[in-house]
Amino acid sequence: MQAFAPGIHPRSEALVQATRDLDRGRTSAEAVDEQLQRDLDELVRVQQEAGLDLLADGMLRWQDLFRPLLEASDGLEPGPLTRFLDTNSFYRAPTATSAEPRLREPLDERYAAPLPSSRIVTLPSPYALAHGTGIPAKVVAAGVLKPQLDALEAELVVLGEPFLARDGAGGLDELREALDALAGGPPLALQITFGDARELLENGLAELPVEGIGVDFYATHAGDLPQGFDKLLLAGVVDARSSALEEPQEIADFVGRLGVERVALVPNGDLQYVSEPIARQKLARLGTARTARAKETAA
Amino acid sequence: MTDVKFETREIGSLAKPPWRVKAFAGRPVEEGDVAEAERWAQKLELDGTEELVETLRREEIGKDDLRLVDDWSSRYGLALLERAGLDVVYDGEQRRTEMYDHVIRHARGFEQRGTVRSFDNKYYSKAACVEEPSIDGPYDVDEYRFLSARTDHRLKVPFTGPYTIVDWSYDEHYGRHGALGATAEQRAGARRRFMLDVAERVVRPNAAAVVEAGCDWIQIDEPALTTRPDEVPLGVEAFNKSVEGIPSARRSLHVCFSDYSLLFPHVLELDDCFELQLEFANRDSHELGTDGADRPGYEPLFLFADHEDAPNVGLGVLDIHTNFVEPAELVRDRIVYAAELLGPERVSVNPDCGLRTRSWDVAYEKLANMVEGTRLAEEALNRAHAGSR
Repeated sequence: MQAFAPGIHPRSEALVQATRDLDRGRTSAEAVDEQLQRDLDELVRVQQEAGLDLLADGMLRWQDLFRPLLEASDGLEPGPLTRFLDTNSFYRAPTATSAEPRLREPLDERYAAPLPSSRIVTLPSPYALAHGTGIPAKVVAAGVLKPQLDALEAELVVLGEPFLARDGAGGLDELREALDALAGGPPLALQITFGDARELLENGLAELPVEGIGVDFYATHAGDLPQGFDKLLLAGVVDARSSALEEPQEIADFVGRLGVERVALVPNGDLQYVSEPIARQKLARLGTARTARAKETAA
Repeated sequence: MTDVKFETREIGSLAKPPWRVKAFAGRPVEEGDVAEAERWAQKLELDGTEELVETLRREEIGKDDLRLVDDWSSRYGLALLERAGLDVVYDGEQRRTEMYDHVIRHARGFEQRGTVRSFDNKYYSKAACVEEPSIDGPYDVDEYRFLSARTDHRLKVPFTGPYTIVDWSYDEHYGRHGALGATAEQRAGARRRFMLDVAERVVRPNAAAVVEAGCDWIQIDEPALTTRPDEVPLGVEAFNKSVEGIPSARRSLHVCFSDYSLLFPHVLELDDCFELQLEFANRDSHELGTDGADRPGYEPLFLFADHEDAPNVGLGVLDIHTNFVEPAELVRDRIVYAAELLGPERVSVNPDCGLRTRSWDVAYEKLANMVEGTRLAEEALNRAHAGSR
């Protein structure tokens, strides 16, 4: 049993203010950098205190799930401001300017920060990065994500996939081909964020060539998990779009009923859809739930 | 055939003047801000602004002074819209912080839950519903009475709709228990209860009281209505619940920056909804012309052409996201295109949405051109009809 938190973490009120001030010309980029470092230090401390097994940097510099990769690539660029799923937040949709995008050079430590112990890194899934560009996911995988993965050292790389659950199982073959192109690097998990994975699970999601599969259990019924699921299950048991704080024992009981051997407790998507003080409490509860479940298993 | 005549109106918010923003934030109002208040008073031919100017120049602006600033800001907003030549006006929502926050501040059962990123370095505050929502009493009646005493124009009062209030809030009450691993039906049921309670216990009593005070046009604002396509019918049900039992007032629904195909056929179930005020200019070309190829942004009008029993169209002819001031001739062509497609009796004229992100100078020029363009469209259509007789 593990617990960790992939995805984009919310910014502290101090960082919110600093970035607002930067936009209004009231502070400097250096001052924002200093606050970013303070936010990162605090996030690491919170994760350690919660007893999370793998640390994440919270992608605090990422404006959305795609932007740094788009800006570091030839052939892809940030496109129109687009609503992210059914939230009240927006992202710049990837837009293609060539048929074969290429990462110019891997993202540096500002976008995948070194951490004091084993870490997870989150990247967009190739299907999500190619979504709406007209370019096959395997081309984006080979040209952009593969060189980025090859430059990373991580215990696990979580590929965030927000779109496939809504598009339906028809995209699974495209995704499978793209994931094949990512083989040979760090271990990968594909996390279906903020969506009902039932149709995907019925059509072979669990057989994709990755170590782990993430399922949002605030959108997916527990009974939809296939019998004999044998991968690492990234169980989305903390609702990143709700301010309500989960009861750790309820999470532990729920996970016990899933009957899966290898489980990592995770939020069901980026925690940036709640404010930072709430996200901090959710991380603590994630750790408490992990401990509670581990004790039950040991007993 | 009677002469074609289009009604012109605003949609919602105008920017707040810097003298108001600074006074309420407790920041010094600078001489340049005071000069702006004087310039606009002259332009709008507002009398009696000396007391405002004197107040703004004070070293400290007290609580009573803020009330006066609030009133004057409302009067400036009203006057700007009147002076631009609109038929139907309000005050640019000068007294309201923001359409979501305005409701949350006045409703019981919500608590603020901090800051969430909208995009990049832009953020918004989000509240959670923690108990069954309600209001202590109607909170927009004074605003309406203040304006109705100061204008001969028809007033249209905007209300944030229940779908948007719910969609922009967290739910810690209705869906709190058993959320983990719940079925889709359970989640949908909790959301429906939340929404209908907001409609019945927050939106309706406030709107009903404003109508009781004499208002004859309420506009329900639902920018979030198509956020979850499968919930559009629920949004329609919530609109109907919001206006249920409110007599003798025109009702309309404003939806913007959405996929309008998702609204149909569900909007046919809106109870006695006079009009849908929609955004089109944002999607349109700046070229003149009244053919379909000239007016790509107005393609959703075919949805109305296909549904003759649909509500009328409040035709958005001003892009609120740019400082480009639409020439009157461009406004004319947009209206003529819509009128020829749907019939002029189904069309009225407004901006795409509120102009709060534009300066007053730009907003005024846009609105004045909108009115001028409307008159040009009337002339063109009346000329064409006269020629065909």
